Amino acid sequence: MPLGPPSSAINIQPAVSSLSQNVPRTPTSISIHPVALFSILDHYLRRKDDQDRVIGTLLGTRTETHVEIRTSFAVLHSETSEQVAVDMDYHRTMYELHRKVNSKEVIVGWYSTGSNLNTYSALIQNFYAQETGPHQAVHISLDTGVEPGQPAGVKGYISSPVGVFPKPENCVFVPIPVELKFRDSERSGVDLLTSTALSSLPSTSSSSLSSPTTSLETLSSSIENIISMIDRVLTYVRAVLAGEAQGDAAIGRYLMDTLGASTEGDADVGGSAAEMGGFNGRLQDTLMVSYLANLVRAQAEVSSRLALVSAA
Amino acid sequence: MAAALAASLPAPSAAPTPAAPTYEALPSSMSTLIDVEAEIPLRFVQLDGLVVSKILKHACDSNSSSPIGLLLGIDLDGVLEVSNSFALPHHAGDDDDKSAKSVARYQTSMLRSLKEVQGDDSIVGFYQASTLGAFFNQNLIDLQAIHQDKLRHGGVVVVHDVSQTARENASFRAFRLTPAFKDAYKKSSFNTASLASHQLTFSSILEELPLKVHTNPLLSAFLGEFSTVSPNTVLGSASALPPSFSALDLNSGGLTKNLEHIVDALDNYRNEEGNLAYLSRQIARERAKADNYVMKRKEESAARVAQGLAPLPEEDVTRLFKIPPEPSRLESMLLLGQVDAYAKSLAETTSTGLVKMYAATAGSGA
Repeated sequence: MPLGPPSSAINIQPAVSSLSQNVPRTPTSISIHPVALFSILDHYLRRKDDQDRVIGTLLGTRTETHVEIRTSFAVLHSETSEQVAVDMDYHRTMYELHRKVNSKEVIVGWYSTGSNLNTYSALIQNFYAQETGPHQAVHISLDTGVEPGQPAGVKGYISSPVGVFPKPENCVFVPIPVELKFRDSERSGVDLLTSTALSSLPSTSSSSLSSPTTSLETLSSSIENIISMIDRVLTYVRAVLAGEAQGDAAIGRYLMDTLGASTEGDADVGGSAAEMGGFNGRLQDTLMVSYLANLVRAQAEVSSRLALVSAA
Repeated sequence: MAAALAASLPAPSAAPTPAAPTYEALPSSMSTLIDVEAEIPLRFVQLDGLVVSKILKHACDSNSSSPIGLLLGIDLDGVLEVSNSFALPHHAGDDDDKSAKSVARYQTSMLRSLKEVQGDDSIVGFYQASTLGAFFNQNLIDLQAIHQDKLRHGGVVVVHDVSQTARENASFRAFRLTPAFKDAYKKSSFNTASLASHQLTFSSILEELPLKVHTNPLLSAFLGEFSTVSPNTVLGSASALPPSFSALDLNSGGLTKNLEHIVDALDNYRNEEGNLAYLSRQIARERAKADNYVMKRKEESAARVAQGLAPLPEEDVTRLFKIPPEPSRLESMLLLGQVDAYAKSLAETTSTGLVKMYAATAGSGA
């Protein structure tokens, strides 16, 4: 799942050296939770006028070679042509506050907006490496896509020292792959936001609004979605059969794989009786539960009214 | 070098403040929106995308049954814009006083920190995650009652349903206490007479405010970027946010769990009702005793008057008989609300289940 424009960077996997058992291995992949991304965007929107970019701390968990970014918070910093300063007290306070709510998340690196990796980036990276030590600090650079010529996207880096005598202001940022990751149970929330965002795109209104729906509405929209997809496939297949369009072998194979699974059931008609029996049984169960639920609700309502009446 | 890096920024108070802030005259279109006394009634609550995802994550991560956090934002022209939120730490087993203090400390330092990075720092309410729609509990009511006194517009509570969300329907609802309930709560009288005079049932404790989800244009652009399939990728490798169809999953799981919850809630309710019945029987007994006593004394004094003697002196009956105060019915009302919420979510699950079953058989031509 690429999180940005395709790049030609080769993701180098450092060779595992058996010598350095004590040194933790460098991370080879990063996953980022939507909350962290959204926080970065929010921070960017709230920056001061004179700030080119904003930076902040990334919190998350890490396994041996994988870093999972779970959340992020903004950190004050200032950059001038001569120096860069990061408000460390603030960083510490925020980290302590976050630890109180979620003690599992530790500092894994830092983010900045814009794709500009300069000397200051190296300095900040050096600082965060001390915070995360002995592990490597990861750096997420997020392109907001507001500057022309810069497509929106997220890139992840780790650093490695450069030169015969490594200096903190010099380092090579090595790109590593980033992907979006969230729990299945959070899926619907992300879908809600996506549909909110997409529904606003065609219109000219600057902000987008939508209300959360009920589960029946969600279901009906999914079914409509499926029906439209079937229609699309059907028109494509008809067009190919009529010779109007060039058939794509890959698409044909995908269609066969997908539809083949469901046609097997139809092949043996004998199974359908048992199928119908199961369906009817299940139908009765569901209706029963539904009846029960409505009964309970009615009783609860009556009971609450009776509590009022008994006083009179 | 690190020392140079760590040289912290000047404290925000010491930062050169712009000399004499100039106030621009408000455009006339905005002047109607100035609302110092919070007189414009709230029309709806607007939840930012950031807040939605923060609540989701907190609800999933937290190990407490009902994670709570604070909502930050501003109200403008009848719209309560919630633009940020943060989770409150969960204290298990701590003694109340200590944990309350540490939560308060946490809250103030978090607000101060957010202010430093230009974040919103005014509390507009709180959120709570629940399962299967049963969010009625004493805790929520108490917290909201505190907020209702302190915050502009009384604050709102946004309820997030974890189990609904797991079933492909992110559920967020905004509530606040009804005036009738607030009145009764202030007097802390939840006996039957007060309930009847306020017309309170479980459904009139909270009033729902319409809730809308808002994404700022930058976030919209990002989400749009993620969910579009880039044209030059091969089939199969989709976008960062591939469409999902788990809403069509035939297995409407959690039915048994839901039924169990209903039975549990009903049991709790029965217990509570039993307690109430016991208490009211006791009250009735004591009252009958007192009435008997008064009656006897009256008869006696009437007899004495008939015999030409002085009547018995008046006595304070209330001191002789302790009639217990009428029990609070709040708890039973909340439990009933919980039963109703569980039943409602069960009914909703079954109704979608029915649709899905018919949809599945429609395909097989049966």
